[in-house]
Amino acid sequence: MLVSFQYRPRKSVIERFDPRARWIASFALLFSIVLFWDVRLLAVFFVIAMAQVFLARITWKETHRAWILLIILSTIMIVVNTIITGSGTIAGVVGSGKPVFHFEIKIPLVGWEIRYALTRERLWFALAQYLRVFSIGALFLVIPFTMDPRIYGVTFRGIGLPDKLAFTMDLAFRFIPTLARDYQVTVDAQRARGFELEKTEGGLFAQIRRVAPLIVPVTMNSILAGEDIANAMDLRCFGLKKRTWVEALKYQWPDYLLIGAGGLILIICLILRFGLNFGNFWFPT
Amino acid sequence: MQTDHNLPLLVKDLSFRYQRRPAPSISGISMEVKPGELVLIAGVSGCGKTTLMRCINGLAPRVYQGDISGEVRIFGKSVQDMSMTELSQRVGTLLQDPERQIVSSHVFNEVAFGLENLAVPRQRIIYRVNETLEYLNIEHLCERQTFHLSGGEKQKVALAGVLVMQPKVLLLDEPLASLDPASAAEALAIFRKLADDGISVIIVEHRVEDVLAIKPDKVLFMDAGQVIYQGDAGGLYDSVDISKVKLPARAVLRRAQKASTQPFKAALPPADGQELVRFEQVEFRYQPDSPPVLKEIDFSICKGDVIAILGPNGAGKTTLVKHALGLLKPTRGTVLIEGKPTHSLTVAEAASTVGYVFQSPTQMLFAPTVQAELEFGPKNLKHSTEQIEKDVGWALESVHMNGERKTPPLALSFGQQKRVSIAAILAMRSRILMMDEPTAGQDYWNYISFMDSILQMPGFDAILFITHDVDLALIYANRVLLLKDGTVAAYGSPENVLADENLLHSTRLRPTSLLRLNLELLPRTGRFMRAEALVDYVSSNHQVTEV
Amino acid sequence: MMKKSLWAFGTREVVFSAIGAALYAVLSYGTNMLQIAGSGNVSFRPAVAIPMFFGLAFGPIVGFLTGAIGNTLSDFLSGYGFYGWWGLGNGLMGLVPGLIHQTITNFRGAADIIKSEVMVVVGAFVGMAVASLSELWVSGVDFATTVTINFMPAFISNIVNGLILVPILMVAYSAIVARSGR
Repeated sequence: MLVSFQYRPRKSVIERFDPRARWIASFALLFSIVLFWDVRLLAVFFVIAMAQVFLARITWKETHRAWILLIILSTIMIVVNTIITGSGTIAGVVGSGKPVFHFEIKIPLVGWEIRYALTRERLWFALAQYLRVFSIGALFLVIPFTMDPRIYGVTFRGIGLPDKLAFTMDLAFRFIPTLARDYQVTVDAQRARGFELEKTEGGLFAQIRRVAPLIVPVTMNSILAGEDIANAMDLRCFGLKKRTWVEALKYQWPDYLLIGAGGLILIICLILRFGLNFGNFWFPT
Repeated sequence: MQTDHNLPLLVKDLSFRYQRRPAPSISGISMEVKPGELVLIAGVSGCGKTTLMRCINGLAPRVYQGDISGEVRIFGKSVQDMSMTELSQRVGTLLQDPERQIVSSHVFNEVAFGLENLAVPRQRIIYRVNETLEYLNIEHLCERQTFHLSGGEKQKVALAGVLVMQPKVLLLDEPLASLDPASAAEALAIFRKLADDGISVIIVEHRVEDVLAIKPDKVLFMDAGQVIYQGDAGGLYDSVDISKVKLPARAVLRRAQKASTQPFKAALPPADGQELVRFEQVEFRYQPDSPPVLKEIDFSICKGDVIAILGPNGAGKTTLVKHALGLLKPTRGTVLIEGKPTHSLTVAEAASTVGYVFQSPTQMLFAPTVQAELEFGPKNLKHSTEQIEKDVGWALESVHMNGERKTPPLALSFGQQKRVSIAAILAMRSRILMMDEPTAGQDYWNYISFMDSILQMPGFDAILFITHDVDLALIYANRVLLLKDGTVAAYGSPENVLADENLLHSTRLRPTSLLRLNLELLPRTGRFMRAEALVDYVSSNHQVTEV
Repeated sequence: MMKKSLWAFGTREVVFSAIGAALYAVLSYGTNMLQIAGSGNVSFRPAVAIPMFFGLAFGPIVGFLTGAIGNTLSDFLSGYGFYGWWGLGNGLMGLVPGLIHQTITNFRGAADIIKSEVMVVVGAFVGMAVASLSELWVSGVDFATTVTINFMPAFISNIVNGLILVPILMVAYSAIVARSGR
């Protein structure tokens, strides 16, 4: 099985920033976005998030699966929520308002009556939901494409995680290609014993049980390897003291700018929201 | 003790018993190693060499708990009184499988790992990493991903990760196990250089013949947790069991007794030219625009064939075998299994003719009992219940494991697991057995008896195996297929193919002492055979050159 | 042997967390059989048994990191971006079974397996509830919607996969656990 990370050098502006600064700024934006239900403000964030996608030089070919998935999932959620079940987490959107469309059904036998009205408010709320989901989705979508997996460990160390936890990230990256190869070997080995992957006979439970010949060998093999790897690490003094990270990250002035901007946006948003009570659900009247 | 302080390693009356085991794994071990000495420790698996290494590098009893008695001193200081930080800068250990030693995705970071943990300043680390890479002549690997390295490169990188900590004593646990002959020769040259530069090198290895080539200063032979022999290489020849470790062919010849040799006979049907699998002008590419992995492959597997496939890494050996199994279908040309092209067969259909045993048995074992493991294949092939019961019983009988029906395969020893994986193919009644590196992970004694028993098993029409081991091909195969860059470089009898020394070199193989001796005696023997069997052909007046 | 703390995080734990996470990511990618439409960022993946099992076999921290890092890496591999709250939910799915790690004496014993299965269900409930509830906060859907759209499909598919595959992994593990000299 071929697994490869989506990262490759793209010579984009985004990559010139320190990954720590990017994480910090992204989280500042995330916390800013979720404060608001006002589509005008959300539209600003949406533009910022999409601008990052374009600056990152990611192609549609690379990301279309992610976008389609995001569209399908959010549409199901929002349609079910806004159009069918009712409101949202914001009070005041429920029931009232001018209906765009409405119907009543009486279910025979039980005699339940379903009365439904789709209002303009509900539609505007749905738009706000889309903007939020897409802003947040786009904000983090660029990360796998533009951050070198090699520096994840030192990035998280730099953000303040302990050595061992940060190194766990690095080690996990190291194992991915190895385990993907091992998994492919096991799939081949079982196919050579007449096991047919594509076969879909039997119920759901039987289907799940059919995965066992594929995952048990890989899992047990990797656990056996783990004992040796732990030995190799102990022999090279892992975890005895605060370690040096040979991959070094260094903040440059644009990074301070990015962190500053992120922080400033979050502060302004907090003031807008809680100081001025601005940014609640809004729709044009 | 005054002189102790100059002695890199002193072991005195050392015994160790693992907490969960009733008996000690090693007892009464004594040895000393001087600066720049190269020591070979030989023995079969389970002889206690790994435990001895763990006592020297401190893993026992720190990580592996148990009772330790006696002394292990590094430059006069007891290992148990040293901190791991201190110890790791005196004693370096290279574990058997470099794949399980490498912890970083990139070479530079891998080599830096130990120094990072010791909190050495960053600039100093960079300097020392580069220095070490240069010392081992692998600067060019610096920015590479560890995953994409070859076996030999992986080992050098793992070694660099140990050497960068500047140990004075280096422990090497079966360092040749996963290497092709050319890489093994390179690795050995490095070990010699390390010793010449003043490091005390201790090599634990059952491929004794190969290590003797770099002239160890001292040889130890261990058996059942004790040192049976300690001294120079010459004395070893006379004091060990020649079936247990691999000695140079001439030494075996000198020791082998005429009466004891019984001619080895495979149980395969006589060759009658009946074709089982045929490759016709096979070409294969993974992607339409990628370079071909196989090209113009033409050859047949016939009844009675025992085929050894040799060739360097990346020559397409595994890809070739996957074609014979229908796991891969040729991009151009045809593979016929019993006359039917694989394009029209599913893998499951092909599996009833061709059985494939992968390198490591743990890659396929999953069932809670041996019995269930063996039933998996035939059930997939929709054999009848009575048939399955009969075949599973027969398969277990054939690998001598009838007593283990209810045992979980994962709880068995490596050698037993290997047998279960063969039985799993037998139970499917596949007529051709294909094996990828059948001897990997087994010591000499185990793999010779393993190969002997497979070849004497009833039920197979042909056997094919991939190997790096020239001697294995020489002893067991009646056909040798040499692959190079995706094409067949040679296919024929071992006597013809292996005689071409230039061809061997170009495929990263090296002539062994057994091959040379066989070639010398070929006019009299008419075919290749194992060293013990050559005794009959050495007349009393024929002088076997001294080793 | 000295009794280690349930929350110890040494070399062994680092290694098994990393292996678990990589395994979870690779197997999610490799065995993703069918997607249940509308299940948040969840699909029907047998690999969820991995964080649950790693929790049981190596403790709550290893279980948590296997789930959290593994889910994140799996999203990275597919290029889906980063959904931290689903990572947290997957982490809890491994952490909760890990709470009984030290009480398991026999990985093939019926009592220990039943106990583990209960924890698998509790873990899937807690983990998926946390992840789903954060959807309230992110996309602003109401409680009923997140329960039907996010929580139920994820919870049900995870317990079905977990209940079937975790015992299989436990039995297999019991055979190798005795071989380790540690």
